[in-house]
Amino acid sequence: MKGTELNYEDLEGFFQGLLDNKVIDALIMPHRVGNKVSYMLVRDKEKVASPESVIFAPSFGVNAANVVKGWMIDNKVGIVAKPCEIRAAIELIKLKQLNEESVLLITVDCSGAFKNEDYAEHYAEIGNLVDSAKLKELEGKGISIREACAICENRLADIGDIIIARINGKVGVAGLTEMGVKALSAVGLPLEDKDLERREEKERIVAEARKRLEELPKIDSVEALEAFLQDCIVCKNCRDVCPVCYCKECFFDQPLGNPVGGDLLNLAELRGAIEVPANQLLYHLTRVYHVCTTCVACGACEDACPKSIPLTRFYPVLAQKVQEIFEYVPGKDTKEPLPFTTYEDEELEECLR
Amino acid sequence: MEEVVGGFEPKIVGFTCNWCTYAGADLAGTSRKKYPPNIRIIRLMCSGRLDPMFVLKALLNGADGVFIGGCHPGECHYIKGNFYARRRIAALRTILKQLGLDKRVRSEWISASEGDKFARTMKDMAEEIKQVGPNPMRDKIL
Repeated sequence: MKGTELNYEDLEGFFQGLLDNKVIDALIMPHRVGNKVSYMLVRDKEKVASPESVIFAPSFGVNAANVVKGWMIDNKVGIVAKPCEIRAAIELIKLKQLNEESVLLITVDCSGAFKNEDYAEHYAEIGNLVDSAKLKELEGKGISIREACAICENRLADIGDIIIARINGKVGVAGLTEMGVKALSAVGLPLEDKDLERREEKERIVAEARKRLEELPKIDSVEALEAFLQDCIVCKNCRDVCPVCYCKECFFDQPLGNPVGGDLLNLAELRGAIEVPANQLLYHLTRVYHVCTTCVACGACEDACPKSIPLTRFYPVLAQKVQEIFEYVPGKDTKEPLPFTTYEDEELEECLR
Repeated sequence: MEEVVGGFEPKIVGFTCNWCTYAGADLAGTSRKKYPPNIRIIRLMCSGRLDPMFVLKALLNGADGVFIGGCHPGECHYIKGNFYARRRIAALRTILKQLGLDKRVRSEWISASEGDKFARTMKDMAEEIKQVGPNPMRDKIL
């Protein structure tokens, strides 16, 4: 890959340069609001101020890909976000919910993130930048990263058009695609061959993540699932914040999926009694099927749940097994076809009966 | 028809494609093959028409088993409908497997000339579901 090394402070000039040189028309990137981090959509380069203090911040608000979902525009928008968010954006491109030519995906290294409220509460201790040693120390004090981050195998930036990696007190910026390399040369960065693969670190992260996944409580029966979802109020927040749940009109917003009045009475008559709000189990089972190949395990569903149901133990965990049978890793490559849009003549017979 | 002596008789919802498995079931009937009467067939034009949600809904509404039948891969009337169906069913069963529900869902490729295979599959499946037992969802308040 082609890239260069910068100081943390140089990032401001880099992002401003992208806007200044009309490489992009706008930039979606994190900014700081008091103790918190949220996203902003920038058109005026002056508004980009010390990005180095915030783009690596271990906080997860919304999934940035969800913000651009369905933006079929011709303008070009840069997105500076964590790997899981960029992976979701890549899935959206494949799902034709995002125009590949109109986004410049800039992936930053992630160290794992805290829930918004945890981050705000413990900001003084956590700060703007953390590493694995710091995370261990914080965990000792009972401040842990999100479950979705603990089981994440893809924390290092290795997808998108441009990656921004943290290496030895500096940042490595490199272009992965033609569009990315062009953008880097347009802002005048001296490009040279750069190896930001970091295989060993990656292996360490994967091993740790798999261990944490094994430790998660399992949902291994319908009864367990019922108990797990007991508090669910079917508010469908998990669907609304999910970056890869994209139907124009959700089945569960239509009369069949969301029965009211007479329809509901008829159903109750059929079964003697039904749970209301209706379709709780069907909703979650349908949703896990709908996202099973594209779920990037970002954990946005869990963060949005008003009842604090740890949905990371359900959606990504079940989806991962499906991704395994198709040998598919969501969000890796815009060219790789979605599993449900392709097939092979002979396959999967062992999964059918 | 075999005599039913009390006990548990599973209800199986069957989704069969118009061109192969439905015709296969028809052939089983016209050639007087015996098979247990547990299946209730819903005819689809193609196994590719099967929305996996149909299966979920059947299971949650108390079906003891769900059978999905289609043309043999490569022989789909619509050329590739069953190839897509195969991927969907595999994904769905992978999810159900983690919840211990996969034994209730089974699919088989049965052509229009395989009345015998249809009868045999029905017999096998009825036996299997009897082993698995009644679907507890039927009596639950869901």
